[in-house]
Amino acid sequence: MIVTGSGTLPSTAYDDVPYTRGEFVDRADVGVLVQSAVDGDASAWKALVEGLSPLVWSVVRAHRLSDADGHEVYQTVWFRFAQHLGRIREPDKAGSWLASTARHECLKTLRSLSRLTVTDDPQLLDRISEDGSPEQSLLDSEEAAAQSERIRRLWQEFERLGDRCRQLLRVLMASPPPSYQEVSAALGVAVGSIGPLRQRCLRRLRARLDARGTS
Amino acid sequence: MNDDDHILGDDHGGGADGAGGFDGGVLEDELRRAAAVLDPVPDVLCQLAVEAYALHDLDARVAELTFDSLLDALPVRGAVDVPRMLTFQAGELTVDVEVSGDGLMGQVMPPQPARIEVLRGPGPGARLTADDLGRFTGDAPPTGPFALRLRTGGHVVVTEWLRA
Repeated sequence: MIVTGSGTLPSTAYDDVPYTRGEFVDRADVGVLVQSAVDGDASAWKALVEGLSPLVWSVVRAHRLSDADGHEVYQTVWFRFAQHLGRIREPDKAGSWLASTARHECLKTLRSLSRLTVTDDPQLLDRISEDGSPEQSLLDSEEAAAQSERIRRLWQEFERLGDRCRQLLRVLMASPPPSYQEVSAALGVAVGSIGPLRQRCLRRLRARLDARGTS
Repeated sequence: MNDDDHILGDDHGGGADGAGGFDGGVLEDELRRAAAVLDPVPDVLCQLAVEAYALHDLDARVAELTFDSLLDALPVRGAVDVPRMLTFQAGELTVDVEVSGDGLMGQVMPPQPARIEVLRGPGPGARLTADDLGRFTGDAPPTGPFALRLRTGGHVVVTEWLRA
């Protein structure tokens, strides 16, 4: 793995990586993992899934599909990736390939839905407040209650942002942080506009939180 | 956590590109942690993606989607159960597929017999046969992700995965 220094990178392919921190997964590894998976290494495939699943999921969530649609899109994207493995022209950009395929499938789904019904938001907020997922119960333990409340508020304000900001931030918050190339592929937005948009959207979110008295 | 991470700089100007010293990185990290708790990748999906490795098959040719009525045809106003028409192509071989509530119908071109498997995921799928004229039908309409694996004339061709 190439160690990327902090902040002062020369102009390289990593230009578009906005920040480097803790668990940063070097995207150069992706190309190596793809090649190993092509050569029959199942653990390399597993590492790809673990490293890039959150990105695919983020793209799906950013497009606000219903759970059923979202699950199917996610599967379709990974099935197609497995099918095309070894034929992907730039293996080190597999993240962008996945993001772009996910976007394409999301748009197709939205288009087919718009022919039948008016789709509405899948009520994510309600689900969060009512659903007792394991993660949720963990959070509800006494010492974590304050943290839980903080996260809940943050998420609520995030959900109330305009479509554009909500979409962008949902993709940016994938873990590990996606590169701007990947975000561009996920949303069909020019790489150059992502930095300024990101900054603006985060400022908006900060302002909402401050207005609510949460800091 | 840095609670002093305010947006004071935002008050003057409101420029689009990060003027004012507000570092959104901290907030973005918080969002990332929130997403990991409130909206993580469902385990069942992650597992399916891991298992999808079985779909990796270098010996099969991929028949690419060249026509999809969902994208390429005008909608029929008022019609709710129009069949989905799909065309896949791999070199000389074309596969036309029609998916409706009643099932699946298809045609292999040039006309030839084929053994066909309707894949729904990494596991084995339902088996169909195309007759000498390349025609095939299946009762159960595929829902969700699907692909057809065709064995014909010594070749294996798999259609690009898509959602029915």
